[in-house]
Amino acid sequence: MKFADFISPEAIRAELTADDKEGVIREMVQALLDAGRIRKDQMESIVRAILNREELGSTGIGRGVAVPHTKHPSVADLVGTVGVSSEGVDFNSLDGERVHVFFLLISPPDRPGDHLRALENISRQLRNDTFCRFLKQSKTAEEIRQLLDEVDNNQFWS
Amino acid sequence: MDQPKQTRTVTVANHAGLHARAALLIAKLASEHEVALALVKDSQAAEATSMIQMLSLGAKQGDELVLEATGPRAEEALSALERLFAEKFYEEDDETKARG
Repeated sequence: MKFADFISPEAIRAELTADDKEGVIREMVQALLDAGRIRKDQMESIVRAILNREELGSTGIGRGVAVPHTKHPSVADLVGTVGVSSEGVDFNSLDGERVHVFFLLISPPDRPGDHLRALENISRQLRNDTFCRFLKQSKTAEEIRQLLDEVDNNQFWS
Repeated sequence: MDQPKQTRTVTVANHAGLHARAALLIAKLASEHEVALALVKDSQAAEATSMIQMLSLGAKQGDELVLEATGPRAEEALSALERLFAEKFYEEDDETKARG
């Protein structure tokens, strides 16, 4: 699976302003709403579901990255976006690091395979130090889009 | 002191596969038992201290993993991990989703 298969380019945010977990999640879900990827009347339900999932254990996976997510019946396909915070946010990650990069995912309840493949793709790419560093340093959504595009086209590993 | 490495093969039983929360449970269990733990799928190995490495395995329902534990409590840790996999990471809605 490629980033292009689940990241909505127009919902990418390079300069997240929120400084806490709930704020970041709201900002990113709002970005998906603004991009027309989720329904307005479902926004609050989606935010609550993602926060409830965080209660079960942080989705901070290390290297300054978190993958807040939920299953939600209002989406027909896996929907996702990327957000970067230059200040970083305390996300209770396993390694204790502040989180600078967020991949937010909303998946249809009956498609756990897609969610797993998206996590696999994100994690595999994050093992590349250069990709990780560039992502954290991105200042514009365009830079992030370019970076994901290069990774999708295997230009990053050469 | 070198500790012998203990191994055990487990199967991913839960419908959702080795996702983020499952990986976190594995990391915590290894840490609680003070063992160095690696999960090996085919020839790819992931350290249990790294969520990123574990999620990179993309282990889905039915996949086999070899668990390699090193430390004085390795056997105990492997038995606990075996239960964790068999219990499907305690996912309450797993059965209904699997049938649905």
